[in-house]
Amino acid sequence: MININNLHACVETADGEAKEIIKGLNLEIKSGEVHAIMGPNGVGKSTLSYVLSGRDGYNVTDGSVELDGVDLLKLNPEERAALGVFLAFQYPVEIPGVNMNVFLKAAVNALRKQRGENELDALGMLKLIKGKSKELGISDDMMRRTVNVGFSGGEKKRNEILQMAMLEPKFCILDETDSGLDIDAIKVVADGVNKLRSPDRSFLVITHYQRLLDYIKPDIVHVMADGKIVKTGGPELALELEEKGYAEFLKAEEQEKAA
Amino acid sequence: MTTCLRILDRDALPTPKDEQWKYTHLGRALGARLLNVQPLAQQQILVHKTVGEICKEPEKIVWKGEAGNHYQSRFEIVLEDGAQATIVEFHEGEGAYWKNMSTEIVLGANARLNHIRIQKDSVDAVQTNMVHISMERDSHLNSFSINLGGKLTRHDIHAVLNGSGAQCQLNGVNLLKGQQHGDTTIIVEHVAPHCVSNQFYRSLLDDKAHGVFQGKVHVHRGAQKTDGYQLANTILLSPMAKMATKPELEIYADDVKCSHGTTTGALDEEPLFYLRSRGLNESQARMLLIQAFIDEVIGKITDSSIQTRIKDMVAEWLKKQLN
Repeated sequence: MININNLHACVETADGEAKEIIKGLNLEIKSGEVHAIMGPNGVGKSTLSYVLSGRDGYNVTDGSVELDGVDLLKLNPEERAALGVFLAFQYPVEIPGVNMNVFLKAAVNALRKQRGENELDALGMLKLIKGKSKELGISDDMMRRTVNVGFSGGEKKRNEILQMAMLEPKFCILDETDSGLDIDAIKVVADGVNKLRSPDRSFLVITHYQRLLDYIKPDIVHVMADGKIVKTGGPELALELEEKGYAEFLKAEEQEKAA
Repeated sequence: MTTCLRILDRDALPTPKDEQWKYTHLGRALGARLLNVQPLAQQQILVHKTVGEICKEPEKIVWKGEAGNHYQSRFEIVLEDGAQATIVEFHEGEGAYWKNMSTEIVLGANARLNHIRIQKDSVDAVQTNMVHISMERDSHLNSFSINLGGKLTRHDIHAVLNGSGAQCQLNGVNLLKGQQHGDTTIIVEHVAPHCVSNQFYRSLLDDKAHGVFQGKVHVHRGAQKTDGYQLANTILLSPMAKMATKPELEIYADDVKCSHGTTTGALDEEPLFYLRSRGLNESQARMLLIQAFIDEVIGKITDSSIQTRIKDMVAEWLKKQLN
């Protein structure tokens, strides 16, 4: 499914200089697998999600990223979306003046068009929206509101999962989807994600806390430090991290550097 | 001040040395050609609704312009006590002309006026429109103005809220391109207590267009419980476009609620990326965001068929500019 090889990426800082954040990251996720990336703040987790989804200002200086053999790095964000990349944002963006229904319709039809499928008519769209929003406990009232404007933390994250369900991606990145949520909201979001798990869909779950992984069970857990993956293991690695904290991994990393 | 209320005097034009005309050089836009034309005999249109008269259908008034002319026009809308009307003021024309207008709006107690102004003058035309509004007790004005045409236009609104409970909504949209210059200058005077005024203007400036928004809320002594609000947002679609905004509050009462805000800048990157990550291409995403930005003002028009017509005009303009 997705193959990341020796990825190096820079971010443009405010004074126009390039700062390297991702420093030789390798990752392979097979079809149907759920991988978690854990790590403390500032190690490049969110940068990785932006690099994979193609945000401007994040420049890849070395390495490659392939989705089913297609070079993602050559594509712009909308082309990646059409191929099946989906990013659930850590901070979903407010779109002033655009109503949820209008937004979802525009997104679904833009993707269908890119994928060479017929655009959905009003009725087809209504059915799709009704069905998916009901599953996630999203009210009609929320669908009439402006995208993410005045949404609570839980509503914003449920909205991300709703879009994920409607756009039928192949590779989903969840960037700290649990941040700022209470336990009930986490359960709703995790339920939504679990329903979407399938043999031909992969997930990369980026998180700070082990708690989310109680509800979205990963196949493989990675620890990220200083722009690369420093340890990989099974679900038990998350528990170990929760117990001991990140300090040990960071220390090991530093020693390695010194040597 | 009085120059704002009458038809501008051809022989004593305001210049950028006058504070109120700081950003708008009328003489230069008119040039010798239009300045030296003798004005046509004064044209006048009067809309008068008597006490309690209720007009459900919108009434359309068209002001045309023909090349080479200097018009001195007077437009009066008088709604006596309790009268209701919707007036659509439409401007169009061809070639270079100067429409020098004075508009007088008088609303009696409890009168309701929806005033929609669609300005599609020729791109070589100059329009100066001095609007004076006086509002009596509990009268409501819902005004919307869209500026699409003109080489230079000045929409100068002076509203005086004389009776308590009056509500004055001044909304507008400016879509300017090429070397167009559009100036909206507003003074709202809260003379009586318990009045509401609201200014909501949004502009899109492309190419080398130049926009001006000067808005002032003046709360007189004794105008307690005034609720005054002012918001002007501009999106610059080109690095060469320019906007001058000057929001002002002048308050002489101590129990009022007044606020103002202006923003000017390029389209935000974050919503653009969010939409693109959901599959919209860059031009679709820009179109959706910009249309929503303008539609928020158009949404203030109460008549839905007029709303639709104006949305179509905006969409047509955007299609030309963004593609």
